[in-house]
Amino acid sequence: MILGILQLLYRLPWLLLVSAAALVLIGTLALYSASEGAWSPWAERQMVRAAIGAMLLVVVAMMPTPWLHRLSYWGLAIAILVLVAVPFIGTGTGATRWIELGPFNFQPSEPAKLAVIIALARYLSGQTPEQVQSLVSYLPVILMLGIPFGLVLIQPDLGTSLMLLMGGLAVVFAAGVPRRFLVTGVLAAAASAPILWSQLYSYQKARIMTFLNPEADVLGVGYQITQSKIALGSGGLFGKGFLQGSQSQLNYLPEKQTDFVFTMIGEEFGFVGNLVVLLIYFAILVSVALTGLRCQHRFGRLLCMGNSFMLFLYIFVNVGMVTGLLPVVGAPLPLISYGGTAMLTVFLALGVVVNIALHTKLQDSDFY
Amino acid sequence: MKKRKEQKELSTVMTRRMLMLGAGQGVLGALLVGRLYQLQIAQSEGYRRLSDNNQFDRRLVQAPRGRILDRKGRLLAGNSEVFELRMLPSRISNHQAWLKRVSRLITLKPEDIEAILEKITEQPKFLEVTVKSNLTQRELSRLAVLSPVLEGASFQKSYKRIYPQGWMTAHVTGYVSPVNKRDIDGEPDLRYLPETRIGRTGIEHNMEPDLRGLFGFERVEVNARGKPVRVLRDQQANPGADAYLSLDVEAQSFATERLRRGRWQAVPVQMPEVQEALLENEELRAHVSMGDDLVLKDEKGRLVPPESGAVVVMDIYTGELKVMVSTPSFDPNLFSNRLSIRDWQRMNEHPRTPLLNRAISGLYPPGSTFKMVVLAAALEAGVITQKTRINCVGAFEFGDRNFHCWFERGHGLVDAEQSLERSCDIYYYQIALKTGINRIHDMARRLGLGDVSTLGLISEKEGIIPNRDWKLEKRGVVWTPGETVVAGIGQGFVLTTPLQLALMTARIANGRSAITPTLTTPQMTEASPSFPPLDVSPDIIRFLHKSMRKVMAGGLGTARKHDINQGMAGKTGTVQVKRITKEQREKGIIDNIDRPWKERDHALFVAFAPYKNPRYAISVIVEHGGSGSSAAAPIARDIMDFMLKSDGVSA
Repeated sequence: MILGILQLLYRLPWLLLVSAAALVLIGTLALYSASEGAWSPWAERQMVRAAIGAMLLVVVAMMPTPWLHRLSYWGLAIAILVLVAVPFIGTGTGATRWIELGPFNFQPSEPAKLAVIIALARYLSGQTPEQVQSLVSYLPVILMLGIPFGLVLIQPDLGTSLMLLMGGLAVVFAAGVPRRFLVTGVLAAAASAPILWSQLYSYQKARIMTFLNPEADVLGVGYQITQSKIALGSGGLFGKGFLQGSQSQLNYLPEKQTDFVFTMIGEEFGFVGNLVVLLIYFAILVSVALTGLRCQHRFGRLLCMGNSFMLFLYIFVNVGMVTGLLPVVGAPLPLISYGGTAMLTVFLALGVVVNIALHTKLQDSDFY
Repeated sequence: MKKRKEQKELSTVMTRRMLMLGAGQGVLGALLVGRLYQLQIAQSEGYRRLSDNNQFDRRLVQAPRGRILDRKGRLLAGNSEVFELRMLPSRISNHQAWLKRVSRLITLKPEDIEAILEKITEQPKFLEVTVKSNLTQRELSRLAVLSPVLEGASFQKSYKRIYPQGWMTAHVTGYVSPVNKRDIDGEPDLRYLPETRIGRTGIEHNMEPDLRGLFGFERVEVNARGKPVRVLRDQQANPGADAYLSLDVEAQSFATERLRRGRWQAVPVQMPEVQEALLENEELRAHVSMGDDLVLKDEKGRLVPPESGAVVVMDIYTGELKVMVSTPSFDPNLFSNRLSIRDWQRMNEHPRTPLLNRAISGLYPPGSTFKMVVLAAALEAGVITQKTRINCVGAFEFGDRNFHCWFERGHGLVDAEQSLERSCDIYYYQIALKTGINRIHDMARRLGLGDVSTLGLISEKEGIIPNRDWKLEKRGVVWTPGETVVAGIGQGFVLTTPLQLALMTARIANGRSAITPTLTTPQMTEASPSFPPLDVSPDIIRFLHKSMRKVMAGGLGTARKHDINQGMAGKTGTVQVKRITKEQREKGIIDNIDRPWKERDHALFVAFAPYKNPRYAISVIVEHGGSGSSAAAPIARDIMDFMLKSDGVSA
C-alpha cells in the first residue's frame, strides 16, 4: 500500500503540477492587483475555482485510462448537445456564448475543445495504418471537428472556433494524416478564406482591420491594443512594481483581469516577469510533450499532443494578441486569466495528461 | 509482419510529427519572446513616455499676483478668488460639440466659443484652456452635476484682479489685462501661461516682474476617464511680491473729491434738471455714462461735469508721492477680464480722455509758476539783485510786439519780491530777456523740469524746457529774443507736467538736495535715498521762500485769501490757452466763465508747507478752470490743510 503510494508519487509529473500551481499563484496575485489590491471580486473566486479545478484534476488523473477512452464519444456528444442548446438557453451581449448555471456562468465552447481532442484522439488512435492512408476514414473526423466548429462559429465566436479547429487539426496531423491530404486541405482553406471573410460580422472584420493598423482607431478597437502595448512597453525590464502599474491601476488597460492579464503582469513586473510566466508555460508544455513521448499507446500520445497544442494555442494567441502580433480574438491566458470555464477546462486537460503519465505501461490493445 | 512494420512506421511518423509541432511551437514561442523584448526593452523609452502622458495631465497653477498697498497697508489692488471651468483639449474628441454641451449650462456667447476654439489651435494640446472664469454659484452647481460625464473638464481656483479703490487710484495702480499675441512674441513662455494678467500701465506695469510671481506646475494623475486621482506638485506656485506704495489713500481720496468739486456745487444726479441736461449735453452724458454720479452747477447755474486736472503731493525730503490724482479717471476693474467693446468705446470717446494720467502725461505750460525758475536764474546770473526794481505800466514793447501784463493797469514800480507776490509779468519779460533762455533752461533743469522722473511709469512725458539748441534742432530755426520774453512767464514753448511742477516746488522747499520722486516706500527700496545736492545758492533759495510766502501772506499776494494756519508758500499760475488778439483786447477780455470750456485758462497752483518747516510740496492744475488764484489755490489749500492735519492726528 505504502509502496503503491510511493510509486504513484514517483510517477507523478511533478514539473507539470508545480508549474500549474505556480501559475495559479501568479494569476491570483495578478487578479489581486487588477482589483487595485483587493481579494474581491476576482482573486478570491479564482482561488475557489483553482481548488475545484485541482479536485477535478485528481479525479480525472486517477480514473483508469480505458474509462477515458470509453467516455470520449459521450463527452463529444454531450458537448455538441450543449452547444446546440446555447442559442436557446444561453446569454451574452451581442454573441450568445454563455449558459447560466445558478451563480455560475458556463461557457460550453471551452470544454468542447477538450471533448473534440479526446474524441479525435480515440478515433484516430483506433485507425489501422491502412485506414490512416485512406480518405474515407477521415469523414468522421470532418464531422467530429466540423460540427462543434460550426456551432461555436455561429455563436458567433470566431476566435474560439478557430482555436478548436486548429487544436483538432493538430491531433489529425500528429496522427499521421498523409501529406497529400494536408496539401489539399491547406489549398481548400485558402480558397475558402474570401468566402469566410464575407460571412464575418462587422465587429470581427473591424478587429482584423484594426489589428492590421491599430493606430488608425485609437479610441475604438485599436485602443485596447495600443494601451496594452503602452503598458507592456512602459513596464521595461523589471516593471513598475506590484500594484504600481499606472496603465492597469488607472483603467487605461481594458479587460486587465481576463484577456489582458499578461499585459498587467508585464507592466508591473516587466520583461523579466513576462519571461518567467512564459518559462513556466514552457515547462508545462515540455512536461506534457515528454509524457506523450514516453507513452506507449497512440491514444495517450495523441491526447498529450492535442492538449499540449491546445495549451500552446491559448498562450500564443493570448500573448500574440496583447503584444499586437495577432488580432484581438478574446483568448484567455491558461490558469491566470479570470474565468471559471477556461480554468476548469485547463485543469481537466492537465488531469488527462497526468492520467496518461500515471498509466504509461498500457498498450494500444488494452483499450479494446 | 507487414502489419507490425506499418505500425512501427506510423509510430515513427507520429513521433516525427509531434517533434515538428513542438519545433513549430518553439519558433512561435521565440517569436513571442522577441516581440516582448522589442516592446519592453528596445522601445521601452517611448512607451514609458506614452504611459506618462496617459497617467498625467500637466496643469499650471496660477500664482496670485502681488497686492498693491498704500503706505498704511490699505489695499489698492488685490485678488479675489474665482472658480473657472477649464477644458483639456487632448482629452476631448470633438471640441465644438463639447463646448456646445457646456453652453447649455453656462452662458457662453458664440464669440467666446470662437475665441476658445482659436486658443485650442494655438497652444499645445496638453495644456488646459479656460472656458469661463468667474463662474457663478449657479453655474458651478449645474456643472458639478454633469462633471462625472464631462470628460476633460476641470474646475480651478483662479484669481481675478480687483481694485477696491476703483477709479480713485486707477492712474497710480494702472490696470492689467490678459496676455495677448504681442506679449507672447516678446516672451514666448507666456504661451504656456494663457491665464496670466499683464500690467499695462501704472504700478502694475512698472513693477510687473515683482508682482507677477511664478506659476506653479503640477501633474494630475488621471484615470482613463479623465478623473483626477492624485496631484503631484512639481513646482509650487510662488505668489508675486506685494508692492507698498508711498501713496496715502485717505489723502488721495480727499484730494480727488476736492479737485473734482472745484469751486462748484454738487447737484444730485437724480434731479429732473440734471436728467434734462443729460439729454442735450453730450459731455455731461459721456461723464455720467462712465458711472460717475457727481454733477456740478457752476456760478452761472449751468450743469457741468466734475473738474478735470491733476494734484500731486510730494514729501520734500524723501520725494515720496503721497497723492497723485488725475481726473477724470476710469475703473481699472473693467480691464481685468476681457474688456467689453462698449466700455472701451466709452473710455475712448470720452471728451476728457479718462485714460490719460494728467499728473505725469498731461503737458501744460507752467505759466506764472515758472517765475521762480526765471527769478532764480536771473539772480544767479547776477543780471538783477533782490533789490532791482522795474516799472510795470501794463505792457512791454519789444520788437514789433506788445507784451501785456495780466494786470492791465500795470503794477507800477515793483522789486523782485513784489514781482512774485503780485505775479507781475512785465518784470519777468525783462529779466528773462536779460538772463537769456539758456540760463533759464539750466535753472529749470536743475529744479526738475523738462525730463522724465525716476518714477519709471510708462507714458510719463518729459515736457519741454527750451533753449537755443533745442529750437535749432527741433524747429530748424534760430531762437528769437521774443521767445525768451514769453518763456519768462512760463508760456510759449515751455511745457511741464504736474509731477514736474510738484518736484520743482519740492526742490525749492528742500533747498539742499535734488530730490527725486518715488511711489514706493523705503520698505521696498533698501536704504533711505541719498540725493545729489541741488546746487542753487542758499541765498536764492531763501529769497524764493520769502517771496513765495508773500504770495500767500502779502497784502497784495495773488493767493492771499488761501493761506493755512501753519503757513504756506506758493505761486499761482493762470495759463492762457488761446492767444488774445488785439481786437479782443480792445473790446475787453471776455471773462473765463463766459468762454467755451476749451478756451478757458488753465488754473495752476504750486505750494509747500508748513512755511517754517516745510514737509510737503503740492501742485494743482485745474484744466480750463480759470485763474490760478480762484480755482487752483483753494484746492491746494484744502488738501495741504488735510495733509498736515492728518499728520498731526497720527503724530
